[in-house]
Amino acid sequence: MPTPHAAGAEPTRQTDTARQTIVRAILTDDDAQKRTIIGSLVGQGDEAIGELFTAWRQDSLFIYAAPDGAKVPVELTGDKDANGAQTAVKVIDGAPLVDVVGHPIRLVGTDLTAVEHDSRLRLAMKNVVDLLDLGSPILSKRLHAIQTIGFAQKPDKLPALEARSRIETDAAAKTELREAIALIQLADPDDAVKLQALTVLRELHNSSSYDVIKAARTKADAAAKTSVAKAADAALTAIEHHKSVVNFFGTLFRGLSAGSILLVVALGLAITFGLMGVINMAHGEMITVGAYATYITQNVFGDGMNFTLPFIRVAIHLPGLHLTGWTYQLYFVAAIPIGFVSAALVGILLERSVIRFLYRRPLESLLATWGVSLILQQLFKLTFGSNNVNVDSPVYLSSNWTFFDITFDWNRVFVIGFAAVIVFGVWLALTKTPLGLLIRCVMQNRTMAACMGVRTERVNMLTFGLGSGLAGLAGVFVTQLGTVGPSMGQEYIVDSFMTVVVGGVGSIFGTVVSALGIGMADQSIQQILLNPVLGKILVLVAIILFLQWRPTGLFAAKSRSLD
Amino acid sequence: MTSPATGPSFLRSRHLEFKVIGVLLVLLTVIFPVLNAHGVISDFTLTLWGKYLCYALLALSVDILWGYTGLLSLGQALFFSLGGYMLGMHLMLLIGPLGSYAKAGQNPAGLPDFMVFLGHTFLPAFWRPFYSFGFAALMVFVLPGAVALIFGFLAFRSRIKGVYFSILTQALTYAASILFFRNALLMGGNNGFTDFKLILGHSLVDKDTGPATMRGLFIASAVAVLVVCAFCHWLNGTKFGLVRQAIRDGENRVLFSGYATAHFKLFVFVVAAMIAAVGGALFVPQAGIINPDQMTPAKSIEAVVWVAVGGRGTLIGPIIGAIAINALRSWATHAYPDSWLIILGAIFLVVVLFLPGGIVSLPAKLQAFWQRRRKSSVPEPTPLQVEPENPKS
Amino acid sequence: MPHPLLTVEDVSKTYDGFKAITKLTFYLFEGELRTVIGPNGAGKSTFFDLITGRAQPDVGKIEFGNHDLTQLNEYEINRLGIGRKFQTPSVYTEHTVWDNLVLSLKGPRGVFASLFQRLSSTDHDRLDELLKLIRLDAKRHWKAGLLAHGEKQWLEIGMLLAAEPKVLLVDEPAAGMTDEETHRTGELLISLAGKHSIIVIEHDMAFVRQIARDNNVTVLHQGSVLCEGKFEEVQSNPKVREVYLGRGKHGNR
Repeated sequence: MPTPHAAGAEPTRQTDTARQTIVRAILTDDDAQKRTIIGSLVGQGDEAIGELFTAWRQDSLFIYAAPDGAKVPVELTGDKDANGAQTAVKVIDGAPLVDVVGHPIRLVGTDLTAVEHDSRLRLAMKNVVDLLDLGSPILSKRLHAIQTIGFAQKPDKLPALEARSRIETDAAAKTELREAIALIQLADPDDAVKLQALTVLRELHNSSSYDVIKAARTKADAAAKTSVAKAADAALTAIEHHKSVVNFFGTLFRGLSAGSILLVVALGLAITFGLMGVINMAHGEMITVGAYATYITQNVFGDGMNFTLPFIRVAIHLPGLHLTGWTYQLYFVAAIPIGFVSAALVGILLERSVIRFLYRRPLESLLATWGVSLILQQLFKLTFGSNNVNVDSPVYLSSNWTFFDITFDWNRVFVIGFAAVIVFGVWLALTKTPLGLLIRCVMQNRTMAACMGVRTERVNMLTFGLGSGLAGLAGVFVTQLGTVGPSMGQEYIVDSFMTVVVGGVGSIFGTVVSALGIGMADQSIQQILLNPVLGKILVLVAIILFLQWRPTGLFAAKSRSLD
Repeated sequence: MTSPATGPSFLRSRHLEFKVIGVLLVLLTVIFPVLNAHGVISDFTLTLWGKYLCYALLALSVDILWGYTGLLSLGQALFFSLGGYMLGMHLMLLIGPLGSYAKAGQNPAGLPDFMVFLGHTFLPAFWRPFYSFGFAALMVFVLPGAVALIFGFLAFRSRIKGVYFSILTQALTYAASILFFRNALLMGGNNGFTDFKLILGHSLVDKDTGPATMRGLFIASAVAVLVVCAFCHWLNGTKFGLVRQAIRDGENRVLFSGYATAHFKLFVFVVAAMIAAVGGALFVPQAGIINPDQMTPAKSIEAVVWVAVGGRGTLIGPIIGAIAINALRSWATHAYPDSWLIILGAIFLVVVLFLPGGIVSLPAKLQAFWQRRRKSSVPEPTPLQVEPENPKS
Repeated sequence: MPHPLLTVEDVSKTYDGFKAITKLTFYLFEGELRTVIGPNGAGKSTFFDLITGRAQPDVGKIEFGNHDLTQLNEYEINRLGIGRKFQTPSVYTEHTVWDNLVLSLKGPRGVFASLFQRLSSTDHDRLDELLKLIRLDAKRHWKAGLLAHGEKQWLEIGMLLAAEPKVLLVDEPAAGMTDEETHRTGELLISLAGKHSIIVIEHDMAFVRQIARDNNVTVLHQGSVLCEGKFEEVQSNPKVREVYLGRGKHGNR
């Protein structure tokens, strides 16, 4: 098999473009030299190479004899007309072939000399195409190509990689190249080369090369080459160590983000349940309200939507703003206040119509709000359909950022930051505003507050609205992390209640600590067991056992009354 | 003046209430099967009512906890399902050579079909004893009882009560349901157990003998309800009944009377779990299926709805509630499939807000209403003696 | 000096930084009738809470006979023979007067015992006798929740007596009673002393004077014992006058 550098016939002229080189190859008569010229294209990333080679193999390249006698290689493309003529495109620059006055020339293939190819030439072309992406100007394509070549461990690709690494400027690609070269060298029969490759791999400690090294180690063991086996072990240990560090921080990050989701979801409950003592089983549906509000906002920013209100059968048409690009992407920012306000309004409606009669009967508030939850779920189903709806991720949330091999998804980073912001906001609202003072005094003693002239009805209403609004905010967020459907709220309700109970009812700070703690525990157990369901069960069991130790949660208010 | 009884006011004493239940259930036990045997009541209706009676057992188990002891457990559907699963395991093994894999000659070991589907070739050890009906019947009591004992011990020891108990039982149920959804548990995964053929040598599906088996199961269910009612009635008359009610009304005070309230609650919790489990075990052959959907917290809360609607703190209330709501469901899910859940939710709201005593308190309320009407037409209005509010939750 | 029946030594208890009890030392002897007085917030009810197991002391020793009460919970302490009447009458409001007494009657307290226990004729006689004593004979089938405040106080005293405890902890028994009833309560407590050991917390000075005629009075102030002695001595103690008596009969601060 000819390698690009084997023959010294005519070195690649650096000034030539890929197209020019191909033209040269076409016009060369000698087969061996043809292959050499084509081989010189290895490592170039010009897209035209692939297209032209394909055309060549499919017999679409021809040589057009120009009126001045020059041989012009052309590609015939497009549909044949009545005469069998096609559009002719010059290989040398991809421009249409024109006559002296500039009219495009249409040619009939059978009238021209076809550009020939044999199996050896096709092989040479394939070799170039294989390595084509190696020179691609798009980084991700390049990285992928380097990895693929590395894992294939074909020694014949080594020169191409080395050539690339000499001109490569991107740091990530350089590292990948080092790794790929080392991986190929690992397959080298020479032990010294192997050892050197292993040193490089140890230094890079990339987990993707783990299996290859392991295979090499098995082989070395079989051949009783202790030095290689040792070096392989060292490389494996380095990878494992690195992996565990990455896993640790990755788990930490995922735990933090899972905890933040839990926190956002449970914070509203910490207010309605923790402060007001209302067991709102419809809390999950407040989350759903926020999620559907996001869905509607998205559609209004886009092409609008139609839906029919159930029972009263009123068709509603929301006209769309038909926004595109970044203005459309802003829908998510708009959805945040909309989600809050709509859930808060539903919450206030619920408080006025049902919950205000049940402040002294917590167990009954549980049952009544469960009825409300059923009704709301069914209304969602009848309005928006029983299937999940699709909420797009705005670009600024759908990307990620890799740092030290740890992937930070923007949506997760965002939810952590957002949780911090709303916790701070709630803390400010409860401690630094007049409303907060009223809330705290009404929640401590409704009767006394009423006697002191506080309008407890209003405070109750606003507090419940705040709690529900926070659930709505959570709903806006979970659109980015989970599915949006009529029963989505149910997924969060058990977890939210547990979070508040573990944190200590009535303590916002406790809810924060317990949400993050449960999130971390959940992710760590999942990491260890590799089984999310079992992990969830274990966390629940752990919570039940935890409550043995602290029945009132982490930070519970102590009471001296008999009941 | 006031009456010492805790029952609904139109049934002046709990003895009268029990007599009413007894007569009704005995009539049900006799009349339904006889009418069915003569073709007056369809097989479908009989089985439907048999299931209602199983639900009545579930409702009774909620009521002796919530209505009589003040413990709102959202875990009763779990115990109901566990009971069902225990008998279901026996029924699954009875399918044996009648299963579809066995018929195709692919099941030499006589495994339940779902195991063959999962690629198992031999029966797991914990399944083997379930070949015996006696063992399965024992486990109907033992397993739910043991789960209730362990969970209840932990919960009551650390004095978890009120809504915290509810939330914790809800979490327990939730954890168990996601566990049973897993195929790896070897309990049928999300499809659960179904396609039963035989019970105690009688066919469940045969066109000729099947209805007779169903009549037998119906009678067994009615008798079980009767026995549970008799047991509860007896319990209410003992000092245990007094302590239990005292726990409901003021648990801390009971401690200072020297009673270990945790032990009493644990006893009630375990008994209630077993009652629910019997309901589940009788439900499975009649419904022909048990799967983890029956185990969810939502199902538990639904059972609480039945009790609330019927009237908690009474024996007849849960039975009326379970039958009424489920009969309504059978009708509404066909007549108004879109609105059924809304109807259920609305019923619940209305009962909690306006009728805390449930259906059984309705006659007294109506009576009071008519009295007020009559009195208001008389020149001298006397303040009406309002019925004492139902015991606080 | 005889061995005390109830020993409370160097006991402290704080609630969220508030010092309810500070280095309290207190002894109760067999058959004694002790009255504890003190202004609001002096820690009187917390003192009872600590003895009955409703709260655990941060430090200190509480012993009853050979039993370390700090290691026992409410019902175990009750079973040892320490009965308590609460400040606000705590009766089983949904039970009848009769059932309230049945629940309190001395006897086994276990789950299975309660399932099969039947009232003996002796028990019936005892309950009838108690009902007459607390003058609720005619209302034995009433729901306790329907009784007047003073009647509930009597019922709770009856419940306390039904259990026949060794030590009676009585928290403000006279509240809500008429003067005549208060006097009768005093008589009852005096008659019980000797057979039982009693600690009474009270605000009503006339009542205290009545029951503390020949017995000791302990004054609590800010969680510890201010002084102890005969009623007259205590009354004339300048420190007591300053913190308590000097501020009016009921010492409300």
